[in-house]
Amino acid sequence: MNTPGGFNWPDALSEFDERRARARRLGGERRVARQKDQGRYTIRERIDAVSDSFSEIGEFAVFEEYDALGNRIGTLPASYVCGLARVDGRPVALGGEDFTVRAGAPQSYLDRMKGGMGGFVEDLAHEYKIPLMMFVEGIGGDVAAQEDKGHAYLTSSLSWTRSFELLDEVPVLTMVSGAAVGASAARAVASHFSVMTKDSVIFAGGPPLVKRALGIDIDKHELGGGPAATGCGAVDNLARDEDDAMAQMRAVLSYLPQNVWQLPQRTACDDPVDRRAPELLEIIPENRRQAYRATKVIKAVVDEGSFFEIGSRWGKSLATGLARIDGMPIGVLASNPQHLGGALDAAASEKQVRLMNLCNTFHLPVLYFVDVPGFMVGPQAERANVMRWGVRAIRSVVEATVPIITVQVRKAYGLAVSATANPDRLGLRLAWPSGEWGDLPIEGGVEAAYRREIEAAEDPERMRAEIEARMHSLVDPWRTVEAFGVEHMIDPRETREVVASFLDAGQGALAAAVSPAGQDRRRRR
Amino acid sequence: MNEIAADCAATVWKVVAAPGDQVREGDVLLILESMKMEIPIEAEDDGVVAEIHVGVGAVVADGDLLVTLEG
Repeated sequence: MNTPGGFNWPDALSEFDERRARARRLGGERRVARQKDQGRYTIRERIDAVSDSFSEIGEFAVFEEYDALGNRIGTLPASYVCGLARVDGRPVALGGEDFTVRAGAPQSYLDRMKGGMGGFVEDLAHEYKIPLMMFVEGIGGDVAAQEDKGHAYLTSSLSWTRSFELLDEVPVLTMVSGAAVGASAARAVASHFSVMTKDSVIFAGGPPLVKRALGIDIDKHELGGGPAATGCGAVDNLARDEDDAMAQMRAVLSYLPQNVWQLPQRTACDDPVDRRAPELLEIIPENRRQAYRATKVIKAVVDEGSFFEIGSRWGKSLATGLARIDGMPIGVLASNPQHLGGALDAAASEKQVRLMNLCNTFHLPVLYFVDVPGFMVGPQAERANVMRWGVRAIRSVVEATVPIITVQVRKAYGLAVSATANPDRLGLRLAWPSGEWGDLPIEGGVEAAYRREIEAAEDPERMRAEIEARMHSLVDPWRTVEAFGVEHMIDPRETREVVASFLDAGQGALAAAVSPAGQDRRRRR
Repeated sequence: MNEIAADCAATVWKVVAAPGDQVREGDVLLILESMKMEIPIEAEDDGVVAEIHVGVGAVVADGDLLVTLEG
């Protein structure tokens, strides 16, 4: 039918089918096949796998391909897919690069970016105050972008504001599968939780750049493979494969609220809150030289199956993660005596700061199992700046906005203990009879403090032994308990019940923190 | 093949397993000493001990190979 201007509904609607089909072809059969051969999903497969439903935005944006002479070859879908998804029933802003189109390069060819660095998907998260989940796979900026613009640009003309704003508003979770280089690497790292598959790589600059800059040859996996990046904490967690990575993102999301103005959701709990944990008496060896696995202690106390470890591959003298107690999401810290005797080095201190930031942001109370001989000593520790990071760890506890409950499992010596509880807040410390604490462990302390007496004695060995025996009688934890120098002593088997009771009562304080008055107070701090 | 390496500086205090031993996940293979603590090195999976790379008294650094398991 002829209408003025030639518009008719049937023709107009037929456009959809054709354009949708083109969008589904991504970068074309060959490139999609290569993606699969290399063991990776396409961006559409990832979105499909992680979400219950997906309402795409920008589906029909295209990238126009030109040859070297400037002739238009054709169009490909734009190199980013994004939209509003429902993940485990929750609205989430979801997006990721399409690596089959121009290696996921930034969409500087569009009037508006879809995502990758700011862009629609981040604006969506910001305006609706919903979590942002991103599948990062991109080579960052590339010289072709200059061609799009017709001139070189200063990177500082690109805005990062939205991306950082979001970190104070909503959960930002990222997955890296494939390569995340330069700007893409930075985007993946600017998150509350990041996970990468073991075969992926992430770095500021790849092997060719490293060769030009430093003259060295290095394999990309050695430079920034999964084990390397999670081994230093650039990325939080390692995943076997993409399915595992996505499961981890969904797990982390389950402990967090939609945004900072809401509390994390308390779920129903099958695990009885009064469950005694007799296994703790087996886990903590009577021989104080024997280590144990920190995560075993955590798992005995928190809701069964609820512990999710974050950063297990770095800062190993401290285990950190998320868990639930009687359905209430919490952050967990636990000294790990298996590594450096549980001493806090720079890395473990940094890991503590990271977990504390997450908990403060999303209103998760913190449970800290302490067994720390002190800050780590020695040239390696000092050169890694254990002092500055140690002070930051202390600060993270002093400035915590959430309740912290501390369990004195075993050792607690020296200044590191200041990073485990705050005397100017409630400072609820629950000691176990296995607890031992002081300025310095007896062995080193006696040598230092009584050196003259020991050297002057007729029998130095005996003198030292006598002094040590006297000191040992003073360090009986019950003496500190009697002086109310520690708030309570409990049977370890009751820890779950006691902690649950206090956490439950503390929920009111969390609610006060997200109330309008609470927000004002927080802003004024 | 499953390689177990030290993850911090330590001394080998006790060697518990021997090449050819059938081990299960969690079995202690050897015990290191570091920071005045005994650190048990456990098998991460079921398998057979192929080789123990260190002896009692050996000083190991972060990343040094301790045990290789098969299967």
